[in-house]
Amino acid sequence: MSIRALWIITHEKGEHVSVRFSRRFPTVEYRAKSLAGSSYQAVPEDSAVLQLLLTELGLADPGKPYVAQRDDCLNQQRTPALELHVDSSAKGILWPVLVISRGPLILACLPLVEAGEPRPPLSSLLSVSQGLTLLEGLQSFLGGSEIKTDGDGLAPRLALMPSVLQQVCPLGTPLDVPQARAPSTAGVPAAAGSPRQPAWRTGQHRGRPAVNVALTETVRCMQYGDPSKQDLWDVYGTVTCKCDVEGVLPNVTVTLTLPPNGSPLQDILAHPCVTSLDSSILNASSVDDGDGSAFSGPYKFPFCPPLEPFKLCSYTSQVPVPPILGSYQLKQQQEVNHLRVSVNLKLHESVKNTFEYCEARLPFFNRVQMSIVDVKVSSGHLDVNKEKNLLVWVLGQKFPKSREVTMEGGIRFSGQLPGPVDPLCTDLTAYIKLYFKVPDLTLSGCSVDQHSVQVYSCAKPKIVTCRELQSKEYFIWNSTGPAPVSSGYYTA
Amino acid sequence: VFLTMAVSWVERVASFLRSPSRFLASTTAEVFLVELLREQRDERLTMLSPLCEHPTLLCPSACTGEETCLELMSVFSHCPPKYTEFRCQLLLTLTTVLVSTGCVSAHSHASRDFLELLLKLAQDTYYDPADVPSALRSTRAAACECLRELEACCPSLLSQHLELLNGLRQQENPRHHQALSGLYAVVLRNGVHLLARQAGAGPEGLKALLGGNAAVAWEAEPDSPALTDRAAPLPSVLGPSGLGPTLQTGPDCKELRSVLSSLLEESYLLTPLSQAALLHALTEVVAMVSGVSPAIFKAQLLRLLGTSKVCLFHCTLLMKAAFTDSLFSAEDEAFLLKRLVALCQHPQMSTAAQLFYTDCLVHFPENRPIGAADGGEALPVLLTPRLAASLVPTVFDEPATMLARLNVSALVHLEEHGAREGGAAGGGLAYLWEHLLLRLHVVEHGGDRAAVVTFFRASFLFLCHFGHVERHAADLRRRLCALYLRHCRLAPHVLNLADRAQDGPVRPGWAVALLRSLQGVAVSAGGDLAAVSQKDLHWHLRVLARVAEEGQIGQGSTVDFLFAVATAASPPSRNEDWRLGSDLLAVCRHLLAHPGLDALLCPLADVLQHVARHHGDTDVRDHARLYYSLLTALSREKLAGVLANGGGGANGGRQDNKRVLSAMVVESQDLTSALTIHKARTPVFHLVAKDRAGGWAEPTPAPEDDEPSAGRFAALADVCVPRLFREGASAAPPAVTLTLRPRAPYPGTLRCSAVFTAQDELTWHAALPDVHVAFRQLFKPLPVPASWGPALRLRAFERLWDDLFCGRLGEAELEALLEEHFAPFRVADPGDATGHRVLLFIPPGSHVLLRIRPQEDAVQFHMATDNWRLLPHVNDFLLSVTDWEARNGVDS
Repeated sequence: MSIRALWIITHEKGEHVSVRFSRRFPTVEYRAKSLAGSSYQAVPEDSAVLQLLLTELGLADPGKPYVAQRDDCLNQQRTPALELHVDSSAKGILWPVLVISRGPLILACLPLVEAGEPRPPLSSLLSVSQGLTLLEGLQSFLGGSEIKTDGDGLAPRLALMPSVLQQVCPLGTPLDVPQARAPSTAGVPAAAGSPRQPAWRTGQHRGRPAVNVALTETVRCMQYGDPSKQDLWDVYGTVTCKCDVEGVLPNVTVTLTLPPNGSPLQDILAHPCVTSLDSSILNASSVDDGDGSAFSGPYKFPFCPPLEPFKLCSYTSQVPVPPILGSYQLKQQQEVNHLRVSVNLKLHESVKNTFEYCEARLPFFNRVQMSIVDVKVSSGHLDVNKEKNLLVWVLGQKFPKSREVTMEGGIRFSGQLPGPVDPLCTDLTAYIKLYFKVPDLTLSGCSVDQHSVQVYSCAKPKIVTCRELQSKEYFIWNSTGPAPVSSGYYTA
Repeated sequence: VFLTMAVSWVERVASFLRSPSRFLASTTAEVFLVELLREQRDERLTMLSPLCEHPTLLCPSACTGEETCLELMSVFSHCPPKYTEFRCQLLLTLTTVLVSTGCVSAHSHASRDFLELLLKLAQDTYYDPADVPSALRSTRAAACECLRELEACCPSLLSQHLELLNGLRQQENPRHHQALSGLYAVVLRNGVHLLARQAGAGPEGLKALLGGNAAVAWEAEPDSPALTDRAAPLPSVLGPSGLGPTLQTGPDCKELRSVLSSLLEESYLLTPLSQAALLHALTEVVAMVSGVSPAIFKAQLLRLLGTSKVCLFHCTLLMKAAFTDSLFSAEDEAFLLKRLVALCQHPQMSTAAQLFYTDCLVHFPENRPIGAADGGEALPVLLTPRLAASLVPTVFDEPATMLARLNVSALVHLEEHGAREGGAAGGGLAYLWEHLLLRLHVVEHGGDRAAVVTFFRASFLFLCHFGHVERHAADLRRRLCALYLRHCRLAPHVLNLADRAQDGPVRPGWAVALLRSLQGVAVSAGGDLAAVSQKDLHWHLRVLARVAEEGQIGQGSTVDFLFAVATAASPPSRNEDWRLGSDLLAVCRHLLAHPGLDALLCPLADVLQHVARHHGDTDVRDHARLYYSLLTALSREKLAGVLANGGGGANGGRQDNKRVLSAMVVESQDLTSALTIHKARTPVFHLVAKDRAGGWAEPTPAPEDDEPSAGRFAALADVCVPRLFREGASAAPPAVTLTLRPRAPYPGTLRCSAVFTAQDELTWHAALPDVHVAFRQLFKPLPVPASWGPALRLRAFERLWDDLFCGRLGEAELEALLEEHFAPFRVADPGDATGHRVLLFIPPGSHVLLRIRPQEDAVQFHMATDNWRLLPHVNDFLLSVTDWEARNGVDS
């Protein structure tokens, strides 16, 4: 349940690679040596580890099209754990090196294997999930997905790493993940004699009590406009809370409710601060047809809130129709560089017609710049980006009364500069991507009533709840071109 | 000045941490350690990192470790409590140094004092308002963490203190309950583990363990095994090979049960990471103690099953593996599996977590496993195609996710339909096949390197699972050839796939068929060489070189293609191109080793000769000439051996990209080595004389005065022994007949040496032990015609007798001879006119007696002596004084 070493690496698309921080845990190494016996492999110095990691990650020698060690099809990397071959012998292997990589940041650690030979399965090692949890915690501490380049934000965070690790992983055994934000100044330690305080609630809130509950639903969609291909969409929701309530072990209950006939929330995951869960809440699953128990709420989540904002729970939901149904037809005209475009978007009647924003983007890949855009839209307005390879159809805050909008016209491509390349979107394989956000709406119908939030504490807090729907990866594929999806249904 | 020094120290420490070996090359560990310890007095945090991360480099011996610890402890004792962070870091460093230098023992002052200090700090209830009770902001929590690590490294170190630790844990207001619970759980787990290993341990042992409360364990019980033997860290009890030791306690484990319950009750208050560790330790304890039912975990299960944290859910899976149906009913199992499948693709899970869960799925701990128990991948029985449908790969998946899902989906399909030819059964295979084609589409349309690598990995995985489905296997082959035709630069990937498919579990023959098709693609370019780019030509030759390694593939078209390339007129620059020439020769080289070489001999010789004469590059020309010579001068076997050895062969060179540029140099060296006769230092075998008459079997030693020289015998021709060592050790060694033609009738010695080709295909020269030819081995019957009867032979003998022992001297000559040489030694016998007597005394005590009898036209010498060794010398003397040799040509 411990890790032997930890590395933080930055790179820019495989270039300018450097180990920005590393930490070894000699006491864990001592255990590793004793447990592994003759198959023990010591951890090499950082520069060697870096090179081995880059090779395994496919980032080494970015200029070379083929490197045997890097690109061998035998390296089936199907787990988050890599094997680093320190030397050519069968024993000189570091395993399991866990790696999570996002943007310019690569985080890696080497968990302790508490067994000798033969190598146990990855799934039997608690240190692996511990390591993953620690790495993910460090990743979000270092800026999560927003980390762009070196200067802004990363360096100061990296400078904090020694003292952060002293707290969360002092001797190689991860105790906690670092808090992404500095500890709340409002937090003060509990006085002697009070009930036990959770280790993840470091202090107490002092000040005006308030509870914020935000419910965000995200819809993803793939529409093909082709009867032989199954349209897919899914919806998932997240409830985020920020609870400023007094007490050492305050008790808050948030209840999610569905409208009558709403389809049950599935795959519910709860934050560990939730004290108890009802089995009926966990029963519904997206991966089977359901057992017909049809529990549809209310979903009660009693918990003791941490001081910082946290994700109370998340769920998935199956909704019968996507919120916006679209059709996209792109046709080649007689001239090679002339395309005829026809788009129709229809807002489903159950969806509230009040958007925070709504726009449709039509990118064109593997072509030169657009020269003439002769396209009419029935609503909203059309922009062409500076590079002249993207049409942005701004629909604004509302669909018209008919809830239907269209775009018709022709586009000529005869510019000088080549546009972006996408090996997926060749010829007439093209898509529209929708970006929208609808406040005060969920597709599942799920909601958190302000009055259903119960707080057991002396002062009555101010309770604010809100909900919204947003799109993510909402694609409408051109129905006159081949869409990049296996046809038909997956039936084994 | 102080600031500069501080900065320089930060840099020095950073430089040490970056590469300790490089840093220590410019100074010594001793010096650096002394400097570090001196600087500790200033309470600077960074100064501790070198010791914290590389203690064994700085303290190579237990002795240095001990001294360093004493030094650090003195720093600790002088450090005011307000420097909490530094004090914590000191404790952590001390633990690290003690453990890594192997100092933890009752005999070590430092470890005794340190343990005492830690126990004191752990009991310290001093409340500092500034002390923020986060994970590790206080010395007390740090001390607990140090104790936990010491216990983990040296099991049962603290088992005497369980009672004390339990008390601390249950204090009214333990502000460090997480640290104390974690510590207690580890000590308990280790204590139970060691107890369970002891033969005959039972409930009393457990009771004693839980009630252990020594004031200071080290002094109270210095013989404790943990301290004297330094117990090794304990492996996990929950190994894949089943459960570890168990402690028979009977049903009455009230104390233990109550401790476990209270730990579990409060587990909710721990951070997810500590909670998972605690639950895992307790799972191990319950798994080892037969008297505690796993149902004790029941109350926690729902909370754990609903969790969003990877480590907590994983911990539940491990619990399931440990307790199977004693904690999880069949219904629970189905539920857990469904949950796991959902987590494998839950949009809220990170990619790494999804991958991990997918791995857990193929190693799912079933209540009644029937699949692979050896830790291999196996699908849980309950995983229906319907459940797995959510795990199909899509073109938008990241590479690792896609491969993991492709693997699971393939396993599901095979499980459902068996390994038989897919046919129309199930759309699963069709879906996966189409997915592969989508990946191929991306590659065909300029996908980046990652997309290419991913496609080939997916192809390999697909082949591993569905290589037996001929329809798809053949189609994939065709498509790969088409891909290669359009994008020759992908040749290394295609060849790599062929290699792996050949080595791996893919149906045999697929790779060869692919290579055969690739050969077709490559040689078809020979039709219009001018239209083929230099780069593509390079790849074609690379492909053909690989194809030529396959003995089953005919190489006629390859040679034709090579000839076309070698003789192509345009563009002229090609004829100068070293690289192209080298590629071409690489193919030739493989062809030289091809089993079908006989059929290729003439055309290949033509290619080589053409290159040797007309290529623009000297190096290439020379090389072609060399190959030409090899082809025409060496036997097939030797040639194959030479080439197999000379690098670039079947296995050695295939992977190595570095070879490309230096191939010629390396190859020249290799060939030189292969064609040179190497000197063997020791004789590898020896000749044993074999007597057909059965009289002797071993060579007799040569006479001492015999000088072995080639002059004794006429020179022998080389003897060629094909396959000196035959199959099987029992086979008789080959017999060799040597016909010796002596030049002189003396025994002699044959000097032998052997030139042979060993199994490594190198040619060796070895001197063999001398073979002695004894005197008696020289005897031969008189060489007379076989028709001679006994009478004739007798006459021959008589004539010879007379001839041999008669000197042909006249009376006067004899008299002169006697007068000249024997006068002083004559013994006169006047009564006997028929002869003369000569007596020679040869000091110190030998005699030679001669009776010389004149006959009609000859003289007989009768000789007697008491020392036969004198005979040759007498003979020599007689020869020298007479002139018989010239006349008779024989000696006696």
